[in-house]
Amino acid sequence: MKKKLNLAPVFFVGPHVILFAVFILLPTIYGIYASFTKWNLMNDPVWVGLDNYKTILFDNSSTFHTQFNNGLKNTLIFVLLSVPLLIVIPLLVAVALEHKKVKGKSLIQSIIYIPGLISISAGALIWLLLFNKQLGMAGNVFGSDVSWPANQPYAWIIIIIITVWGGVGGNMIIYRASISGVAQDLYESAEIDGAGPVRRFTSITLPSIRFPLIYTFVMTTAGAFNVFGQPLMMTDGGPRQSTHVLMMYIRQLAFGNGESIAGMASAMAVLLGLIILVISALQYYVMNRNAA
Amino acid sequence: MLKKKWGFSALALVLSLSTVLAGCGKDDSKTITFWTPLTGDDGAYMDQLVKDYNATNPEIKVKHVITADMYTKISTVLNSGKGVPDLAIIHADRVPGYVKQGTLEPMTAVTTAQPEIKQDNYLPQAWSTGTIDGTQYTVPLDIHSNVMYYNKDLLKKYGAESFLDDNVVTIDEMLSLKGKLAEGDFVVNDALLGWVILGQIQNLGGDIQENGKPAVNTPVMKQAFENVKKINDAGLMTPFGEDGYLMFQSGNVLFSTDGTWSSTAHAGVEGLNFGVTNVYSNTADKFTNRSSSHLFSMFKNKDRSEEKVAGIGNFLEFIRQNSIEWAKAGQTVASKKVIESPEYKDYMQSFFTSNEKEIESLYIYTYEYYPYIAEAVDTYCGDIVRGNVDIDETLQTMQKFVEDKIAEGTSGAAK
Repeated sequence: MKKKLNLAPVFFVGPHVILFAVFILLPTIYGIYASFTKWNLMNDPVWVGLDNYKTILFDNSSTFHTQFNNGLKNTLIFVLLSVPLLIVIPLLVAVALEHKKVKGKSLIQSIIYIPGLISISAGALIWLLLFNKQLGMAGNVFGSDVSWPANQPYAWIIIIIITVWGGVGGNMIIYRASISGVAQDLYESAEIDGAGPVRRFTSITLPSIRFPLIYTFVMTTAGAFNVFGQPLMMTDGGPRQSTHVLMMYIRQLAFGNGESIAGMASAMAVLLGLIILVISALQYYVMNRNAA
Repeated sequence: MLKKKWGFSALALVLSLSTVLAGCGKDDSKTITFWTPLTGDDGAYMDQLVKDYNATNPEIKVKHVITADMYTKISTVLNSGKGVPDLAIIHADRVPGYVKQGTLEPMTAVTTAQPEIKQDNYLPQAWSTGTIDGTQYTVPLDIHSNVMYYNKDLLKKYGAESFLDDNVVTIDEMLSLKGKLAEGDFVVNDALLGWVILGQIQNLGGDIQENGKPAVNTPVMKQAFENVKKINDAGLMTPFGEDGYLMFQSGNVLFSTDGTWSSTAHAGVEGLNFGVTNVYSNTADKFTNRSSSHLFSMFKNKDRSEEKVAGIGNFLEFIRQNSIEWAKAGQTVASKKVIESPEYKDYMQSFFTSNEKEIESLYIYTYEYYPYIAEAVDTYCGDIVRGNVDIDETLQTMQKFVEDKIAEGTSGAAK
């Protein structure tokens, strides 16, 4: 019998493939192309080969070299500070919530999740007032005499606080769902054998949720590299550009005032993308190997 | 065989429908799409003006679209050629770049059809901001300025009311208050500090460009910073990182250097007894209120019909006659018909158009690379004034910053 041509899968997969190609694949390819050009977003791009990359990576006298290095350094600081907290804190909250004696689990979960729905700009205004020396809690309740956004390490502290406050909910829900999927038999057996809560956590909970853990670790890290709103709203990249992250430079170059410098911005974005790619790959490799 | 044929037909049908649906759209030949970046309270006042105009039953009505991130969207639609707005409000510093890139339509057709839309009927610097090489590309809505609000109660308390006698508060006058203020009180905040610095440059007889090249690392720029730094060093400026704007509203600061548009917010603060004057200066002979302008402009759009251009002309003439509504947003209206009317005097910002000298003080930078210089000044001015960085070193960095951006930006030929 002649094989029938089945078009049904095409109809199901087609729309997604089209959307992916139009909104993600093509822009990505064009963005990579732009990184090899001088382009102001208005007129035709002019091909300059690797000039942008050479300037960014090797021209010590160039403003763009300085910006890229400062931006990357600050981004790395943010990643190193925020990612561990965004993994550990939601995990602890999730474990605590899963305890059978906890009442009102859903209510607590909702309260912790809601900050993630608030826009960065609205949240930032609230937190800046809280840490305001004259008007806020920091000055009036805790007696802090420091202007937090204008001094280090306080500037990083308030950025991390708002980031954790807004980001805890997402990972917590993933962890809570995965923890609730762990077989209770394992805990009961361990308890019978005399294992305490810490041992049960490290030997049963963590190994059992290793895949959600890997997923959230990689996604949280990638998201942290793309940080933009918190330093922009909380400290405007200050004090002395010490919280000026790479995405702020990229956006300013591409869409700031004055003629766009989109080629240089694209090159910085591609470099950032490569860094995220390498780190994500390393994370997968290391954690999967350890998980074997 | 039948199924196969039907399958192909269904696929073709879906694709056809998609194409047809994508092509469908509301007929907009009778509507002027008007983009503005007015995402604050001021957007509501423009909404009202558009509503008032449409209420006159013009042949072509105006649809006001408040566009967040408008300039990003402009670059997107200009590249694609679709969805270009018929009319847009842009800022003064955008004009030279857009003209150089060949993206702005001259206003010739509008000014020809509407004889009253001419230089004589607008504040001179607002009009000339849109004049490039003799061609008019914009029609001004307003001038919005850096200004200085003062707290009447504090001025009285510290015996400083005489500072206002000549409408010029000098830095020396401010310094004379050193050691006389109560704990937690300050002479001036750092609101819009970058604009203040750019104003000081004019007061010192300087400029931000020399022979078309950026002039950032200059004795004048250094002097401007040092003059303002004196206030900080005397302990009279609100502390670094504090919200000086809020502190003025709390009644702890004598002077606040924010914008004309802030008068509406200050007026909403209970118990704040305030007035407005010129931004402080190093000399009593010269004062400057660094300004910008909201300008009506038309981006090149082959779909803009002659009827629409005529409709735009009617709308702009309506605005020229009726933009007293815009004064409610706290802005200095550019139309002379409005600012010379009796009712305009009720608005606080009428101070800045009350005489020739005040009008001249509203300085708009039109240098092509002003945006890069403003960015450099804004990025570093706080640290310089507070003494957090070495001033000479930082001016070098700022100069390099601007030069590098200019060098990188000279790309492509105008279409």
